[in-house]
Amino acid sequence: MRDREVNSQDIGPEGFTGGLLEKEWAPCRHGCPVHADVRTYIEHAASGDLAGAIDVIREQLPFAAVCGRICHHPCEDNCRREEVDEPVAIREVKRFVAETQGAQGASLHPIGAPSGKKVAIIGAGPSGMSAALELAKYGHSPVVFDRDSVAGGIPATTIPAYRLPPDSVRMDVEWICAHGVELRLGVDIGNDVTIEHLLVSEGFDSVLIAAGLSFSRKLPIAGADHHRAYPVLDYLQTVKKGKRPDIGDDVVVIGAGDVAMDAARTSVRLGAENVKILCLENEEEIPAYEWELREAREEGVEVIQRRGPVRIKTDSKNAIIGLEARKVTRVFDEAGNFSPQYDDSDVVEVSADTVIFAIGQAPDPGYAAGSALEVDERGRISWNPDTCQTDIENIFACGEIVTPPGSVVEACESGKTAAKAIDSFLSGTKIDLGKEFPREIESLPERNAENIISRDRMPVPTLSPEKRKCSFSSFQSTYVPDVAVSEARRCMSCGGGAEVLIDKCSACLTCLRVCPFDAPVVTDVAEIASEGCQACGICEAECPSNAIVMKRYDRDCLKVKTKQAIDAGSDVVAYIGGFRASAAEWRGECGDELPGMAEIYLTATASVGVSDLLYAFEIGAKGVLVIPCSSGNDRYPMVAARTGRRVAQARKLLAESGIDASALLMAEAADEGRSAVVSILKDFMNNNSFQK
Amino acid sequence: MIVADRKPLDEIVNMLKPYENVLVLGCGACVSVCLSGGEKQARELAMQLNLRASNEGPGFHADFDCITRQCDREFTENLEKDPANFDAVLSIACGVGVGFMSELYPETPVLPGLNTTFYGANTAPGTWEEYCHGCGDCVLAWTGGICPIARCSKSLINGTCGGTHDGKCEVRDDLDCAWYMIYERLKQLGRLDEYRKMREPRDWGENRSGGPRRLTHEEVMELEEEVSNV
Ligand code: SF4
Ligand code: SF4
Ligand code: SF4
Repeated sequence: MRDREVNSQDIGPEGFTGGLLEKEWAPCRHGCPVHADVRTYIEHAASGDLAGAIDVIREQLPFAAVCGRICHHPCEDNCRREEVDEPVAIREVKRFVAETQGAQGASLHPIGAPSGKKVAIIGAGPSGMSAALELAKYGHSPVVFDRDSVAGGIPATTIPAYRLPPDSVRMDVEWICAHGVELRLGVDIGNDVTIEHLLVSEGFDSVLIAAGLSFSRKLPIAGADHHRAYPVLDYLQTVKKGKRPDIGDDVVVIGAGDVAMDAARTSVRLGAENVKILCLENEEEIPAYEWELREAREEGVEVIQRRGPVRIKTDSKNAIIGLEARKVTRVFDEAGNFSPQYDDSDVVEVSADTVIFAIGQAPDPGYAAGSALEVDERGRISWNPDTCQTDIENIFACGEIVTPPGSVVEACESGKTAAKAIDSFLSGTKIDLGKEFPREIESLPERNAENIISRDRMPVPTLSPEKRKCSFSSFQSTYVPDVAVSEARRCMSCGGGAEVLIDKCSACLTCLRVCPFDAPVVTDVAEIASEGCQACGICEAECPSNAIVMKRYDRDCLKVKTKQAIDAGSDVVAYIGGFRASAAEWRGECGDELPGMAEIYLTATASVGVSDLLYAFEIGAKGVLVIPCSSGNDRYPMVAARTGRRVAQARKLLAESGIDASALLMAEAADEGRSAVVSILKDFMNNNSFQK
Repeated sequence: MIVADRKPLDEIVNMLKPYENVLVLGCGACVSVCLSGGEKQARELAMQLNLRASNEGPGFHADFDCITRQCDREFTENLEKDPANFDAVLSIACGVGVGFMSELYPETPVLPGLNTTFYGANTAPGTWEEYCHGCGDCVLAWTGGICPIARCSKSLINGTCGGTHDGKCEVRDDLDCAWYMIYERLKQLGRLDEYRKMREPRDWGENRSGGPRRLTHEEVMELEEEVSNV
């Protein structure tokens, strides 16, 4: 028995196939902690539809602009394009979309009927704000408190501007707040007001603690309390506020996580001549992302590995003059737990005049003061991951205060989950956070990969280390529009391809014979696995039994577009392969469009069937042009040849029906630029005198 | 669809005499539908042959397999048994399958287990009747949908002949007279004008007498490989 059996009832009314997309997910979507529908938004971007793209992104990911800059992009790590050449640059496309659209350019989510319930959220970071958005959508009234004067949490206050400029955070916060999320900034819960007060006197029905980890840990070594021995968060926050901390020329950062990299690279930008990272780990064990470490090194940061600090040395005037560090013999024990061991006989002195401790963060449990919450000696509260509740049933928690440290998108996920729990609690239903996901599409079989055309990943414009060392402005700029759409077009539309309706298949073998990727297998009926299908649509257009539907577009969508064009007064329709076309062309915004001529852009003309061509004439088109890219230059192999066959066939059928076959033409030119396309369109209009 | 009928077992046994190791090959298309050449029939026939052989002495063995259609090359990839490992294949497809398999396995004798009889429809459970002759020049438009080529014993195009009686054919009493049926049907449709027309002699060149026939659909014929740009 096949894994997936789909028959014609499953496609629902009007040929709608969207539901089939939820039967399996591409691995990019699986990998994304909030399960953003990556394939769909990348496809929108590929067709220049940025408004559509941002809405799909924000459907799941409130911090779209922030994640477009700094996400650790597990989607890309999972991307199946890796099996052909390199993963799609999903994050960069997202950044382009989010920054181009801004907060105003994204639709707002619908808000549920007001429940009359108020929820206080402590912490305006990604998890708290994500929870607030969800609660607003459920119809509750979320109020977010933060002791800082800006909303956005660590991304707003701490992450250096060269990686994440304040504008990106503002965009996301502004969009979230537009859903009716109230912000009360500069309020320190536990100090200015207590949780008790919120619940009892201010009428909140529930509290969500999303306070994050705001203490940087220091080591209990001699000299750690020196004024030039900084906890990393204080250091980075001072800089982000535009102030200059007192540092010298010889900065040593202790730790090798991403925050340590931020501190080191910030120090370089502040002008420190020698910046060193000192860490327990060796090259393989360093916890920072590979690219963070590489970029830090490019900027001149030296990395001293397998050394543990013993004491900070000062001179007689109490100035720091160095750091003693002993040899590390191991960092983790056999079970992989952190358990460093040292060789005290091997101690070196590392020159330093400034030391930054970047060895991890801890919660600041100040919010609990005056409440019934119990806090342990490490500042932790008890928390039930199945319900997101603390010991007190209407006090919930989310984000890094209760989960392992993670990235922004993981915090968003945690916040969204907590919001769901709170909603259940407030509506008196059992909290059930169980999650089940559709099957994940597996790797690309070699025989299907053979004919996929390899395309280089678009590089991100990056300033040279010399230039970026002196500046806190972004060191990587976003794609220009044409590059962004080209990169998006590298996506293989995993899971958006062909589905066989087994009750209609007559096992004629046509799909197997026309597929350029050898995806269909026909036994008693055809089966097309998403693993191999490239979603080109060729088989759908050829199947004699109409037994194939495409999951990423409805069967009749081309006919619908054609009808709209004819109804709007066009006489002539051009179906244009859009693989090499600009976003402006796709959107019909070039300004040189011809009156009476509708240009319909397609992923590739491979999806245009003979029946589509006849349909245009049937509903009144006087002429139809089909313009694929020239042979070998299209998104898929054989598109021009396949399209040519269909046009020839349709011309034969038209001639038989008494329609002059010259009213249907094909020209392989969609890859030759706008002016070539326009001149073909003009010639066609003139030769056939279609003009009104 | 194509209707075919099992050959008498004696004839098959005779045909297989020179061979010891035989593959009975069924077809999942028409002959499965008319219950003569499906996987089940292939299995049954192999069993019959083995039973027969065990009475007549050791040496002979028949195995079976079945594919979706014996008239499409690709389905042979789904064969579980390789015909090359057998002394002979007994195909219980229609003659098309037998002929096509012979072409695909030139080293192996492919023998027919069925007699291919006609193009027919299922008129009652277990009954198939001839409706079309595949003559290549269809006349059903003016015969009320009843084929005189297939269903008139003499393939007349201007009927009836003098042998019609009480709606039956003179050839056999249990045969309906096709032209009588055509007349009745056209009357029912109010189109007896068609019946009154004298038809010109047919060009039988579209039939078999024009040599083996071929159909091409250029729009789906194989494409030349194109060189991909990177
Ligand atoms: S190719 Fe596209 S759909 Fe497939 S995994 Fe990569 S981004 Fe996702
Ligand atoms: S082309 Fe259509 S009918 Fe033919 S095998 Fe494929 S899915 Fe089945
Ligand atoms: S959509 Fe394209 S890649 Fe997928 S099975 Fe059909 S022809 Fe092959």
